[in-house]
Amino acid sequence: MTNLAQTQTQLLSVQTAPSQKRFFTAKRFLTPLLIVVALGGLLIFLAARGEPDKIEAFALNWPYMLARVWEHTVLAVSATLLVAIIAIPAGIILSHTHNRWVRGFVLGIANMGQATPAVGVIILFALIFGIGIPTAIAALVIYALLPVLRNTMVGISQIDASVIESARGMGMTTMQILRRVELPLAVPVILAGFRTALVFSVGVATIATFINAGGLGEVIIVGLKLSRPAVLVTGAIVVSCIALLMDWLAGLAEDHLRPKGV
Amino acid sequence: MSGKGYDLGLIWAFLANKSEEILELTGQHIVVVIISVLIAAVMGVGAGILVWNKPTGRGFVIAVAGVILTIPSMAMLALMIPSLGLGWVPTVVALSLYSLLPIVRNTIVGLREVSPAVLESAAAMGMTPLKVMFAVQIPIAWPVILTGLRVATQLAVGIAAIAAYVAGPGMGTYIFKGLSMLGAKNALNFALTGTICVILIALVLDAFFILITRITTSRGLRD
Amino acid sequence: MIKTTSTSGVGITLENVSKSYNSSAPAAVDNFSMNINPGEFIMLVGPSGCGKTTTMKMINRIIEPTSGKIIIDGQDVLSLNPSFLRRNIGYVIQQIGLFPHMTIAENISVVPNLLGWSKDKTADRVEELLALVELDGGSFARRYPKELSGGQQQRVGVARALAADPPVMLMDEPFGATDPITREKLQLEFLRLQESMHKTIVFVTHDFDEALKLGDRIAVLSAGSQIVQFDTPANILSNPANEYVSSFIGQGAALKSLALIDVAQAKLLPASAATSSPHSVATFDNLRTALDRVVLAGGHPVAVLDEAERVVGAIGIEEISDALGADVRNLSPEKAV
Repeated sequence: MTNLAQTQTQLLSVQTAPSQKRFFTAKRFLTPLLIVVALGGLLIFLAARGEPDKIEAFALNWPYMLARVWEHTVLAVSATLLVAIIAIPAGIILSHTHNRWVRGFVLGIANMGQATPAVGVIILFALIFGIGIPTAIAALVIYALLPVLRNTMVGISQIDASVIESARGMGMTTMQILRRVELPLAVPVILAGFRTALVFSVGVATIATFINAGGLGEVIIVGLKLSRPAVLVTGAIVVSCIALLMDWLAGLAEDHLRPKGV
Repeated sequence: MSGKGYDLGLIWAFLANKSEEILELTGQHIVVVIISVLIAAVMGVGAGILVWNKPTGRGFVIAVAGVILTIPSMAMLALMIPSLGLGWVPTVVALSLYSLLPIVRNTIVGLREVSPAVLESAAAMGMTPLKVMFAVQIPIAWPVILTGLRVATQLAVGIAAIAAYVAGPGMGTYIFKGLSMLGAKNALNFALTGTICVILIALVLDAFFILITRITTSRGLRD
Repeated sequence: MIKTTSTSGVGITLENVSKSYNSSAPAAVDNFSMNINPGEFIMLVGPSGCGKTTTMKMINRIIEPTSGKIIIDGQDVLSLNPSFLRRNIGYVIQQIGLFPHMTIAENISVVPNLLGWSKDKTADRVEELLALVELDGGSFARRYPKELSGGQQQRVGVARALAADPPVMLMDEPFGATDPITREKLQLEFLRLQESMHKTIVFVTHDFDEALKLGDRIAVLSAGSQIVQFDTPANILSNPANEYVSSFIGQGAALKSLALIDVAQAKLLPASAATSSPHSVATFDNLRTALDRVVLAGGHPVAVLDEAERVVGAIGIEEISDALGADVRNLSPEKAV
């Protein structure tokens, strides 16, 4: 999952760009369908197997699964929100920095970050700061920071220089230009980064279970360790559906928040 | 190891002691990534060639590859286990699937970017459709296709580290060893060595791609 | 060694050719028929969207006709394999479409390679063609398209189309994207080439002046590729079929006609009639140039020189005007075709 930062930023920004006009695009419609089919299929499969054995029953019950889903969602969403709070302002400041050293340093770190395996970051953090949810969130934030930071910088610096110049020519202050010109024009790109970060957090949160941060990774690992394929598959399908759902919701938000005409 | 100072001498001793194993795991890591990306390249470039000019097919292929990339890698690997077991096979299958999107997307983008005037000229000069594809369109799209392979490789290097959990090959083994030894003397050494090796593998493969791109791209296409 | 043998043109016949993209919309090309003689330079002129390009592209089946018949040199085009057909038809378009990943030499070699020419023959041909389009072979052959100017790229485009010495050339506004000076130069060069090649050329343009300058015959087209008038440049200028054609000719029909007539065709005054002004005109110049010189000389007659620069007479405003009148009278539409 190394550089989903870059990859997904590109992927998602490319994918979402043209889907503004039509409301019922294939993707909008197919993702929920896919989720319903996957979960429905899972329920039927589990029902058809009959009564779970003792070990399976430990995981395959509603309270346990819902608790894991809740943990997973909280972990991913809180990390993403923290990322937004940190990375968007940082990206704005960096995009206005003309110091080549600062930009080079940030880009260098970003490139290193792309090559760093998520599982390595999480486990190293756990070894250094101890296991648990705070460490998991910290690792997730560090990891999901890149796409949002990068997209904010790209989104602002890609704006046509003549637009900024004419805004300045009309007498806008730097803050007014930022608020009324730069940010609105950069919103689609920033949102694409945010969406990437969200999907990404759901994925990395699965690994967070290795350091006792709970979530649906736990279901997978229980299934794996105790050789219960049904448990394993249940965890995998549910977490996949959460990822697809988050991506879908973020896509809707993206289309909704995108300023008209952009 | 939290709270303790870190002794450089110890890590050198550790590296010297384990050098053979580290090399072997690094080799495995590179091999599994290369096999997976090659499989994905055949499927992705092939699919791209088939659908690049068909809006419905194009949308479908990219949507499917997009859904695959959205699935968390732990979940993907877990889903492989009941049918494919542990080890190399599920790892290669999962890595190939993840590598698909960047490859197929870049193939489609690259093929579509070729100017219609160039394609029309090629046809008007009497090239057969196959010849137009392989002598004109693919060579012109080549740098973009290679970029797709490059992104896919970076992706695969990282995900391969997670695959060690399902007994997959490669440097991820050290990262998980570090986790399993939590609190022991060498835990950090293992995890750190594993992580840094994975970063180095990614950087080396990336440099390799830059080289390949330079060598195989026509001078007429470079900026 | 430059050899200058070249295959001259063959006849082309289009019979009731139509193209419609969907049944509800009017046809892009509606029942188009035309007979083109071997070695003739035909211009298709019309506003954008009138179907002129579609008509041309059906000849090499880049666009497949919906109905009708196209015959080149006695062969039904629709019965041939399109790829093989196209190897014998030169094709030049406004966007040029050079292959960016190939050198100039490789671009020109494409069709010879498709036809299985030997390496030596192809290399000789590349050299010959680069000389023909005035691009010095040595340095240009190994360059890439992006390293050339627009005008140079279009010369390569022409050379590439001529590579296998096809009897027929199709050209779609080939000089349209170049600046006016380059365009003029390319037009004249191409005209000079055609004088020795005698290819059958179908040339699409929306620029009527270009059509006048290049064409043996001009077809003025309206929507649906309907032929409004098909005649020589002089006849169209002197006898436009209707308002539509007149509007295409625009202002200054007489001046445009003058450009089509050589000084040699006018009745000259004796050499003594020339004023002492430094202005003169050659017998092979056209009357438009002569008028230009007369105006510069203050409206008085100027000396006319032959190839050897000897004064053979003089020409003034009345002689120019008479020549135009005679030309118009001599070339009535009935006689032209």
